[in-house]
Amino acid sequence: MISDDIYLSEILDRPLLDRKGNVIGKIKDMNVVPGDTFPVVEGIYIRGPEGLFRILMKDINVLNKKFVTTYEEAGAVAHMEPQEKEIRIAEHIMDKQVVDVNGAKVVRVNDVQLGQVRDQFGLLAIDVGFGGLIRRLGFGRAKRGALIPWHYLKPLEPGLDRLTLTITRRSLVDMHPVDMAEIVSQLSVQERSDLLSTFDKETTGEIIHELDEETRANIIKQMKPEEAADVLEAMNPDEAADILGDLPDKKAEEIIGLMDKEEAEEVIELLEHDEDTAGGLMTTEYVSFPPDMTAEEVMQELRLIAPDIEMIYYLYVVDNREHLEGVLSLKDLILANPRARLDTLMKRNAKKIHVNADRKEAAEMVSKYNLMAVPVVDDQDILQGIITVDDIVDFLLPTPLRKRR
Amino acid sequence: MRNLIRKIDGKKLLFFLSIMGPGFITANVDNDAAGITTYSVAGSHYGYALLWSFIPMVFLLIIVQEMVARLGVVTGKGLSDLIREEYGVKTTVFVMAALLLTNLGTCAAEFAGLAASLEIFGVSRYVTVPIACAVIWFLVVRGSYRTVEKVFLGACIIYFSYILSGFMAKPDWGDVARHTVYPTFYMNAAFIGLLIGMVGTTVSPWMQFYQQASIVEKQVRIEDYTYVRWDVILGCLMASTVAFFIVVACGATLHAGNILIHTAEDAAMALTPLAGGFANILFAIGLTNASLFAATILPLSTTFTICEGMGWEAGVNKTFQEAPQFMGLYTGLIILSGGFILVPGAPLITIMLVSQVINGILLPFVLIFILLLVNKRRLMGSYVNGRLSNGIAWGAVVVLILLSGALIVDVIRQVLA
Repeated sequence: MISDDIYLSEILDRPLLDRKGNVIGKIKDMNVVPGDTFPVVEGIYIRGPEGLFRILMKDINVLNKKFVTTYEEAGAVAHMEPQEKEIRIAEHIMDKQVVDVNGAKVVRVNDVQLGQVRDQFGLLAIDVGFGGLIRRLGFGRAKRGALIPWHYLKPLEPGLDRLTLTITRRSLVDMHPVDMAEIVSQLSVQERSDLLSTFDKETTGEIIHELDEETRANIIKQMKPEEAADVLEAMNPDEAADILGDLPDKKAEEIIGLMDKEEAEEVIELLEHDEDTAGGLMTTEYVSFPPDMTAEEVMQELRLIAPDIEMIYYLYVVDNREHLEGVLSLKDLILANPRARLDTLMKRNAKKIHVNADRKEAAEMVSKYNLMAVPVVDDQDILQGIITVDDIVDFLLPTPLRKRR
Repeated sequence: MRNLIRKIDGKKLLFFLSIMGPGFITANVDNDAAGITTYSVAGSHYGYALLWSFIPMVFLLIIVQEMVARLGVVTGKGLSDLIREEYGVKTTVFVMAALLLTNLGTCAAEFAGLAASLEIFGVSRYVTVPIACAVIWFLVVRGSYRTVEKVFLGACIIYFSYILSGFMAKPDWGDVARHTVYPTFYMNAAFIGLLIGMVGTTVSPWMQFYQQASIVEKQVRIEDYTYVRWDVILGCLMASTVAFFIVVACGATLHAGNILIHTAEDAAMALTPLAGGFANILFAIGLTNASLFAATILPLSTTFTICEGMGWEAGVNKTFQEAPQFMGLYTGLIILSGGFILVPGAPLITIMLVSQVINGILLPFVLIFILLLVNKRRLMGSYVNGRLSNGIAWGAVVVLILLSGALIVDVIRQVLA
């Protein structure tokens, strides 16, 4: 029974108990060996009344914040001094400087996060934040520190003097949501919400969107309903609908009730469609104009509304009852005579898909006609939304992150 | 052949000039407002009686500064870095807190020096101190202080006026020589306090942190260590010579005239033999320069030291958001120390003196860390300390702790009595 994640400072100097509950000694250090993805703890150094000795990780029974126990008996533990070439966490990693890839001094290792991933207990991240410092000083369990995941550090070598980041410090701050999501998915529940609470709601939304379905549903469930509503509002309606679709109905209704009215309506509309249909995949954010507007007027209008809309490459032409009449691309619009009316510019036989069609059909259509997006219509040919190419890619090729789980 | 030799020597000299700096600058900042005041008070109150302390102090200063220079060159790390890496978080927090408080006092002393020197011209401290705080803050944050540093360093030549004034006051040189060799000691709090203050201002703890950091920044190779050593030794000798003559000049003028220093104007009279009626002006310029020089370097150096030890992001080109602890500490140090001087009726001379006594009390504890570090073969390899340095430095630690103990005992006795 080894705890999922734990900070080194939480077990250093704690007593190690044998299986009868007798104290063998105090935990002083751990040595690590290279593992598949992160350094793996091989053994724990204990200082007992007769000096230093080591217990292999496989002989550890329980390891958590409260207890560390071993299967061994006090008398049977072999004495062992640290070896020359070994890498030990407290001795060689704690308190060391972290420099970025350019060698610029950055921060310091205030604590080390250990954890169990796929049967291996090892070093997951270093904590370089203020929280780690407070935790080390023993002022209770401080909040989350600033974690740098292990794979952003160069490999350890014996006799190492400082740790080196493989990226610049700034790129750690401006990390892409996909990479952040990867970090978030490795954290514990508490740390996750602590970490997300430091971002603004747009970034939080982007990160959550990149997570797998189960994780993101869990995160939203743990948020206060008001917070969750804010985050979902900041997301695209189709993404928000995806997430709400994974929640229990009651929770989803509560959150929708707290959302901005307009956003809520779009999301409700999207939620009505089956997940496997074109309607389940589409977004209601698109740009449409009446046929009698001129290219110049459309350009002006577009400048005003485009910032909030993900996909503006296709402009849909609809009549006053929202019937899809035609489509033109942004390129067509830019090249057009400013005074030309849309109905003279548009292509009339736009490729479109029915809202209840299988989402595979939508994918085939996008692939066959090389489209960036395909419009979705109902029985009366009324425009309901669009399916963008990235939504299709997401379901055809799940990101490695999603696939892994 | 002769030409060749001259060429090589010329190159060596040039190389020395490029490496020199950290030791020289540190030593000159050492003669800051608080230093000048402490030496002046020592000279005016006890005449030449404290001159003997310079011989052990010069040895100690050179040995200590040489040790940290060696630590810096060999390990490539600052002193606070090493303390953190070798002794962990708790020890570091404790040392950094003590250093922060001590340096806060010294920063306040620099602003006190500034206030005192300009009050000679009748300019109110309520004008000078806020302006100086703002100017220093902007100067450093906007990153142009390297240029200004050179101006300050150049202006340190004013200190030579003490040497001239010391000679022109025609002291009894036999007396001076006798007191330099034969120690005088009074067993009372005032004397012991001043003695600790003298040591504290000559070998201030911030100097070790600052000098080691500057040497690390220069990235000197170990093969060139000889040059670093000479930079340190020359700097220390120069600073100590000036300090020695401040005491002589004050002893020959103020002590001989039975004048005790209560204000900066009293202290300025030590320059009368050289400058006559202009002594005030000369003194004020010198003290202003000393105060500003130290007030520019000290808060910044303190902030860097602490951020390095604690592992906080540091750098003058960072914003409050990027490096909140760094910018907060730096700004806080300047505002607090400046604000302290603006408390109505703040006794400027006393602030300067007391801050140096605190430096002297902290010094042995910092020395213990330096000594432990510089003797670690794992860090220093073959560059660990020799026996002589160890002997003198450990001796100084013991003596300083005994002196601090005696001071505290005597103060408590007086309070009780």
